[in-house]
Amino acid sequence: MTATKAWVAGCVLLAGLVVLALSVGTQGFGWGDGGSLLLLRSPRVLAALAAGLALGIGGAAQQGVFRNPLADPGLTGVFGGALFGIAVLLGLFPEAAWQRAWFIPAAAFGGALGTSALLTLIGSGGSSSRLLLTGLGLNAFTAAGTLVIASRSGESRELLTNGAYGDWLGMATLELTWLPVLLCLAAALLLLPLARSLDLLSFGEDAARGFGCEVGSARRKAVLLTALAAAAATCLVGQVAFIGLLAPHLARALVGPRHAHVLPLSALLGAGLLLGADTIGRGLWPQAPLSAAAVTAILGAPLFIWIARGRHE
Amino acid sequence: MSDALIHALGLGVEIGGRRLIDGVSLSAARGQAVAIVGPNGAGKTTLLRALAGLLPSEGELDVGGYDPRIIDAATCAQTRAYCAQKPVSAWDYRVSDLGDIIGDPVGYAEWLAKLQLGEFSDRRLSELSGGEQKGAHLAMAFAALAEPFGGALLLDEPAAALDLGRQEAIAQAILAFAQAGGACVVATHDLSFAKRCDGVVVLSEGRLIAAGEPASTLTPEIISGVWGVSASSAH
Repeated sequence: MTATKAWVAGCVLLAGLVVLALSVGTQGFGWGDGGSLLLLRSPRVLAALAAGLALGIGGAAQQGVFRNPLADPGLTGVFGGALFGIAVLLGLFPEAAWQRAWFIPAAAFGGALGTSALLTLIGSGGSSSRLLLTGLGLNAFTAAGTLVIASRSGESRELLTNGAYGDWLGMATLELTWLPVLLCLAAALLLLPLARSLDLLSFGEDAARGFGCEVGSARRKAVLLTALAAAAATCLVGQVAFIGLLAPHLARALVGPRHAHVLPLSALLGAGLLLGADTIGRGLWPQAPLSAAAVTAILGAPLFIWIARGRHE
Repeated sequence: MSDALIHALGLGVEIGGRRLIDGVSLSAARGQAVAIVGPNGAGKTTLLRALAGLLPSEGELDVGGYDPRIIDAATCAQTRAYCAQKPVSAWDYRVSDLGDIIGDPVGYAEWLAKLQLGEFSDRRLSELSGGEQKGAHLAMAFAALAEPFGGALLLDEPAAALDLGRQEAIAQAILAFAQAGGACVVATHDLSFAKRCDGVVVLSEGRLIAAGEPASTLTPEIISGVWGVSASSAH
């Protein structure tokens, strides 16, 4: 499939999905009197689109920079770091955390950047196993830290627990989401120009430098922007694994591995996958919606095992 | 040498306390192809990487008009191209994608054809043999330089694992690149190819054993001393 065809088909499907997502919810099917339900559901749909977009392109960028198809900010601990950053802020300054719109995104970015730096220092440059085991360790550490803070913080316990289960979309309001949505878009737009560098990095450091890529600078930008995308997405939806894994793999299957095509298509597919997962979770069980993270895990876990098995063989 | 496109004087490389290259000097002027030869572990790849500016080194270095250790990678890549001994790719690109990635699909297709790989342009890298993949990456290095004149090409065992026909196609491409006004330094085990080059640098244990024209460097005495075999066995 050509990139243009995939892009057009993806946009049409996404538009249909947006209409469906705006029509489904705990109040039943439809847009309500005078479109009242439409207004009510819009922030959630917008948040899911933006977070999915950031997760998709962030996953593609992380796979590109680590030259590893199993890299995903959820599996490598970057989302865990973002949530841990939020937990630290809520645990230490529960009142002040909500006083400025940028406090929580900044805390998430700090946590995501910290885990990204550790992942780069400890986990990169070796085998897939090394990267994933480092991610596993970082995930375990940040999850434990978040749990400790949640257990000591009565007010934030439910909030952090819901975040750990990727269940924050339900509390999306325009007031809470505008800044993370803008950060998701900014991270995605700034990642797009790195496409050629990520292609060159796929040939190894020597070849990339030989063809004119400033390897260190490209890596730093990609890691920084992936952390920003993960942090902003975490602020919107909480911890969601597998979107960053699924979207780039689907994109590569559709248009091949060139990052000029994979990065934007991963963003589009990520937005569609997260919105689709949230819509399924709300549409099938309107009275007790299933979180988007649970739905994406049901879809993503088998794919992860299939890829891991394929690489091992 | 005033018109040298690749010029190293007293180049030294030390990694982890081990001296891998010790005071090696070499030059390749416009129109020249120079072969680096030596037994396994002699330091051919290390020297080539140092010439490309990919390793920290000491001594004078000028490649394509710049010192690649201090100039930015994008500027350096305009006049210097490098192909590793075992090029790899994390993703399964189509061969034609490689031309898009370096920004010159037409030039890349021309070099593919010169290397007898034009028929593979629509195939994925995983569908090629190891030697054919090497050829596809080699064409990237050739095409990355806008034109041979004034360009410096550094190739690490470009014809390894290729059949005789493609070995000859690559040898001719290298010599034609040099004749068009470029300079090429090639690390190789192929002494027959080295004899066709304008200059030969013989390395052993990171040290320069001999440098000059093939007739004065690939002598029976030097071959016997460096490789431990007779000249007839070496050829």
